[in-house]
Amino acid sequence: MAGKEAYKIWAPAGKKWVDWVRPVPFVAINEYSKGYTLSSVAANRGVFLEATYEDAAIIVDLPGEQSVAAGIVLAKLGYRPIPIYNGTIEQQGARATVDNQSVGVALLLGAGELKSINLDDDAMPAFLLDSNRLHRYKMDASIFDNSWDVYPQDMPSAEYMLDNGVHRVVVVSEEFSKDLKKILYVYQKKNIEIFLTDGYEVPKKITIRKLFCKDKD
Amino acid sequence: MKLIPIPEDKYDEYRITLMFDCYKWDPQFLDNNTIAKYALVITKEEHKELERLTEHLDKETQEAEVFLNKNPKLAIPLALTKKVSNELKRMNNYDSDKHIRLMRYDFHPTVEGKWAVSEVNSDVPGGFAEGSLMPKEAKALLGESKYWYRCFGDILVNAIKKKVIKSGRIMLVHCTSYSDDRQVMQFLGDRLKQEGFRIIYGAADHLRFKDNKAFCILDDNEGEVNAIIRFTPLEWLVDIKPKKWQGYFDTNTVSCNHPIAIYAQTKRFPLVWDVLEKNGINMSTWRELLPETLEVKDAKGKEGYIYKPAYGRVGEKISIKEACKEDEYKQIMSEVKRHPKKYLAQKKFISKPLVGTDGEKFHVCLGSYAVDGVHAGYYARISRSPRIDSNAADIPVLIEGEEE
Repeated sequence: MAGKEAYKIWAPAGKKWVDWVRPVPFVAINEYSKGYTLSSVAANRGVFLEATYEDAAIIVDLPGEQSVAAGIVLAKLGYRPIPIYNGTIEQQGARATVDNQSVGVALLLGAGELKSINLDDDAMPAFLLDSNRLHRYKMDASIFDNSWDVYPQDMPSAEYMLDNGVHRVVVVSEEFSKDLKKILYVYQKKNIEIFLTDGYEVPKKITIRKLFCKDKD
Repeated sequence: MKLIPIPEDKYDEYRITLMFDCYKWDPQFLDNNTIAKYALVITKEEHKELERLTEHLDKETQEAEVFLNKNPKLAIPLALTKKVSNELKRMNNYDSDKHIRLMRYDFHPTVEGKWAVSEVNSDVPGGFAEGSLMPKEAKALLGESKYWYRCFGDILVNAIKKKVIKSGRIMLVHCTSYSDDRQVMQFLGDRLKQEGFRIIYGAADHLRFKDNKAFCILDDNEGEVNAIIRFTPLEWLVDIKPKKWQGYFDTNTVSCNHPIAIYAQTKRFPLVWDVLEKNGINMSTWRELLPETLEVKDAKGKEGYIYKPAYGRVGEKISIKEACKEDEYKQIMSEVKRHPKKYLAQKKFISKPLVGTDGEKFHVCLGSYAVDGVHAGYYARISRSPRIDSNAADIPVLIEGEEE
């Protein structure tokens, strides 16, 4: 399956929320150098969500292909997975801070599964992020830094969320990442409630504190 | 100049084609689609006028920067950062024939029926693929024989071929964490590969300099490079730690752009025009097109001025009140008050919007490129707001009539 074909499965034309699907990993698939072969995108954790979360958007912030797998699990629960991975691939031959290629391969494989899942036109979104994106430690200067951040412009505004029935955001992750916190804080200011779950526990409501200057990148 | 709609039934496929075949990797910004549902069509006469104005502006700008480089004390009103100012003397070996000079001038139609120029993107202008492949797709949808376009990419690549040795190694220097930067570099890299060049994608700190030559230190790609195409803004580059950036200023390795670009990149550039003119540099085209620009203190109490940051990008932090959201205007004005030397005051021009098919009005920013002094095509954006910022949509530019 080519990147464009896979993209069209993850972002079917005319469906709600799909305009935010980032083309970056799909576009780069033909340039991949690592030759990964995944046989499936099996989730190694469930995503515990009761039916009462029907007014919630989900943000999955798990490592690499695990987040793609969680997206497929959520699709089976009726959410529309929206991959917003935005990391580029490294210069050929160079070591890189983040492995962005495994996510692309998982998306290709996931497209095969997603194709067979019937989603409602107005399904609520599950935004997918790779929590490895913030690995930017370079043990020496010669390494290619392809870490990346998620920015407010990569996601719908709080107003759009509210207008489209989102009153809660559930983050599936071990913890809130610094970049995501900035986005969540703005949502919270507009009265969207924020929850956190590691995928096993019942989501807990969290109040995001305003970031101090020293917390900022 | 007019807006021609992309056929509605073809738009979704057009958008996907731009993403996958035309390096448009950022099709959405917050709640806004950044791919216009129109093409911008200019008449042959408008094109001729823009071509002439662009080349005149470019000549004036290049003469000005060479003069300022020889007389750095006269550049004090530009209020360049201390870090940059300290390195200006390194550029005394600058030879324009060795490097490739790329700039983009942003034109706006005004209600007076004239053009206004809001700025020159002197250091790292973007929009490479949008100025090269987007019009090709639009032309195919709207009528092959009715329109033509000037392909920016072809012109830039030809300029590179003239100055870089055959099969040379070219380093595309950019912020490697930003896919928005990579899309610009990837377009150019793929295009240059077709010409037989060897391409390295790397960050600014992956270059070291020895005997005024640039060497790549990137893992498995080490060695001398024959050209640097830089997309990392100079004012960001100088903040890279540890300090490995000074070599960019005096390198003999072919550069596009060389740091000489900093003189015109600051929006405070007009504040040295009086001095330039006294020294025989003609700035008449700039005078004709750029609204009056003053120091912040000199605009105090005057009506009709807006404030712009000296190093602003994509319309950010410009105090057009009706375009600011929530408390943005208040925040900008507070910053202007605190750091007046980091801003400038400019007479506001009234943009004349174009009307779309359903009567909706769009303001236009028509970027016009010059490569080594010659007009090199267009990159345009449209917006419902008079401030053309990141919420604007990219739009292909086509020219009416037969190709020259």
